[in-house]
Amino acid sequence: MAEQYKSLHPVKYYRDYLSHNIRPDGRVFDTFRPVILNTGSIDTADGSALSKLGQTTVVCGIKAELCKPKAESPNKGFVVPNLDLPPLCSPKFRPGPPSDQAQVLSQLINDIIENSQCIDLTDLCIFPDKLAWCLYIDFICLDFDGSVVDACIIALVGALKTVKLPFVDYDAALDNIQVNLENTRPLPVHSIPVSTTFAIFDDKIILADPTVEEENLCTGIIVIVLKDDELCCVHKPGGSPLSSDELLGCIEKSKKKVPLMRDLLKTALQDVG
Amino acid sequence: MPIDHKRINGPEDTLPYQLFTKLNRKSLEQKYKELVQDGKRHDSRAPLEHRKIFMKTGVVSQAKGSAYIEVEKTKVMVSVFDPREIPNRQDYSLKGEIYCEFKFAPFSCEKRRLHQLDAEEKQYSQIMKKALEATVCRHEFPNFQVDIYALVLHNDGSALSAAITAAGLALSHAGVPMYDLITSATLGIQKDTILIDPTTIEERICRTPFWKEKEDNEHGLVVLSMLHTHNQVAQFYQSGSISLDKLPHLIETLEKACADTIPVIQQCLVKHVIKTIKKSSNVIEV
Amino acid sequence: MGLSEAEKTYVLHGVEENLRVDGRDREEYRPMELETDVVSHAFGSARLRLANTDVLVAVKIEVDAPFPERPYEGKLEFFVDCSFSSMITWVLNKMKPQMASSPMNSHMASKKMLAKERTIKMISMDIGLPSSSANATPNFEGRGGEVLAAEISNCLSSAYCSSLSFDLTKLCILQGKKCWKLYVDILILECGGNLFDAISIAVKVALRNTQVPRVKCIDMDGNNVEISVCHDMFDCQRLNVENAPVMVTVCKIGDKCIVDPDVAEEQCSVGSVVVAVSGNRFSTVLQTGMGSLHPLTLVDCLKMGHKVGQKLDEAVKEVLKESLRGGDVGFIK
Repeated sequence: MAEQYKSLHPVKYYRDYLSHNIRPDGRVFDTFRPVILNTGSIDTADGSALSKLGQTTVVCGIKAELCKPKAESPNKGFVVPNLDLPPLCSPKFRPGPPSDQAQVLSQLINDIIENSQCIDLTDLCIFPDKLAWCLYIDFICLDFDGSVVDACIIALVGALKTVKLPFVDYDAALDNIQVNLENTRPLPVHSIPVSTTFAIFDDKIILADPTVEEENLCTGIIVIVLKDDELCCVHKPGGSPLSSDELLGCIEKSKKKVPLMRDLLKTALQDVG
Repeated sequence: MPIDHKRINGPEDTLPYQLFTKLNRKSLEQKYKELVQDGKRHDSRAPLEHRKIFMKTGVVSQAKGSAYIEVEKTKVMVSVFDPREIPNRQDYSLKGEIYCEFKFAPFSCEKRRLHQLDAEEKQYSQIMKKALEATVCRHEFPNFQVDIYALVLHNDGSALSAAITAAGLALSHAGVPMYDLITSATLGIQKDTILIDPTTIEERICRTPFWKEKEDNEHGLVVLSMLHTHNQVAQFYQSGSISLDKLPHLIETLEKACADTIPVIQQCLVKHVIKTIKKSSNVIEV
Repeated sequence: MGLSEAEKTYVLHGVEENLRVDGRDREEYRPMELETDVVSHAFGSARLRLANTDVLVAVKIEVDAPFPERPYEGKLEFFVDCSFSSMITWVLNKMKPQMASSPMNSHMASKKMLAKERTIKMISMDIGLPSSSANATPNFEGRGGEVLAAEISNCLSSAYCSSLSFDLTKLCILQGKKCWKLYVDILILECGGNLFDAISIAVKVALRNTQVPRVKCIDMDGNNVEISVCHDMFDCQRLNVENAPVMVTVCKIGDKCIVDPDVAEEQCSVGSVVVAVSGNRFSTVLQTGMGSLHPLTLVDCLKMGHKVGQKLDEAVKEVLKESLRGGDVGFIK
């Protein structure tokens, strides 16, 4: 019976639950779903991680390639993040070029990487004006069940921590490159960004870490990214207006997630050794 | 190449660093000698031994059916969606259609893959489609299309076989009517060495002929998918250069390898059924 | 075009009796007609008619950089076009420069003229009868054409992949820097069944017909490489297509296998296997068609494909030899 009611009147169904201060999956408004992080399991990538946020699953794989730095920034490398929402992860997506949502989220992730300064592009330079690393960071969503950006950022940090770049010997006079695979160095990760998604339901109820159903029914979404205790990025693409108190409330709630993520990373990376 | 405006683009020319390593310069012939030593392969398998397979259903909550397969390092995800009406089609088709997409994740191979489907991926999609067309009872859903997507997260050889096997499992998880369970296996041959379930390195070695003498330079890869109950070959693909005398023997070897995979799928399905029964009985009690 | 059950039974019984609808036995091909040098501005071209099936193959050559992981090899790419509308535009587009270009040395020009006339005739014919040609098979509608085209080009690249079937190292100009890239454009003018076989032969002949310019000298200036090419039209290399694969589609109808199915027979078949034979080996085997096959049937198909493929290859080589001696037109049966 509940199933039919849910598919016929999804909004009412949700309101019934929310009026009793609980969500259909048994969470209260500001609890997060359990997070799983698994790092370094794909050895064709130079760094990789898989994160699960409830059902939402994202794999992040980093591949490093060599290239020539830009003339205007000769001592900087490149970071190229892309989020792929393949048709595999949800019936919402169709094969072909990236959907609007994928494009928006890719750009958001790019902004987060830039703003949080977790990677210093000068670390990626090998020889000024001649040779630098280009990190292709590819995110693939395997199961689209809401709060994808949060899962991406967890996977991103996990993957970045496992990146090992080989030592490159560059002879500028001969333009000769020699790569030494035995001698590798980890990539310095300067900060740990933590992203938290909130859904605004009926203009007033704020749900933390929404599932895809909640995202579809809600009237607005806000993504808050913190770097340690500083605010580094807020993404609120339209939707219900939010008072400054409510916004501050969200930031407070997302602050709770920061130590959790730090612990998670620590344990996940310990497994790898 | 035209710029892809829908993605974030990096610099124009980037080269994989693997090109500049010393290791890369080791000749393939040297690698061939190391291929099988004392009847053992580099991962200490016997030549005709398949790697261990792990399979799991229900990995994608949003899909109707899904399966994940791990053949040691090779990892493939497959999801199957509800039948939908065939898009852009005027006439009525008596048999349902199958749409297959086989994709390597950009980081799944030694060389970075691009986001668009390349020729190899298109070819594998086609082969997968052919294999599944022979497996699914397509007359049960006329004028409808079932979408099947396979994503290789990590390719360490025999990815196509893994994807076909997993697709069969995902289809049964989705409850799509099928004639039989489909299993698939790959085999590589170089000179007279036959390797079941080759890894990436072994696949690469089997792709090129090493020897000048005409009798010796047989090489190639063979992929075969079977429907076992009826003893039918659903799909067969061979590349390289193999003589007529050898091929029947290779087919037999692959048949055996395919048969060995069946219990793994069956176990996995039984697990799924038990889980579902438990779940539904719980609901009734509540 | 759909066949009724009765028609299907008729075809099936014919195959059973080893006397097919058009009077052939099971291992017999329909008559083929082969022309070379049909596209004047291409480096090599061939047109093959196999009964109603009509394919045109043109080879173009460009200088390119080899793949970094395979520095000693040139590149070979196949492109198949099945759609009807693109076919008209293709032919028309190719016509324009051809009409305009006149400066040629006398001998070449006369040969080209002939070719031009032929091509023009071909266009008028096709435009005149749009309904009866390429889109006769339902496969060609919408994306169907694309899928079929991809299947054929993939099968070709797989068949040419081994260096035993086609030696790409011959296309290398300067190791790691420059190589020839061959674009093999395949245009299906009309489909009367058995595209794989027709195309593979046409490709083989077109590659044989291809004139690769001879490199006169290579200038190296640091990482800059400049190549100058012989301008003499007669001083070119020919490619070695001795082992270039020939494909045979073996169709299973009822309990028997046949080669070279026509459109009706293709519809009756439960399964088919495309066999690419290079020398006495298989360079690619691909099961096509909807159904599945018993392993023993598969082996039977392979045996039949191998036998017929070698015969076909010999016939093609015979014609190629003759065409080199003089006439450009040949008949194979």
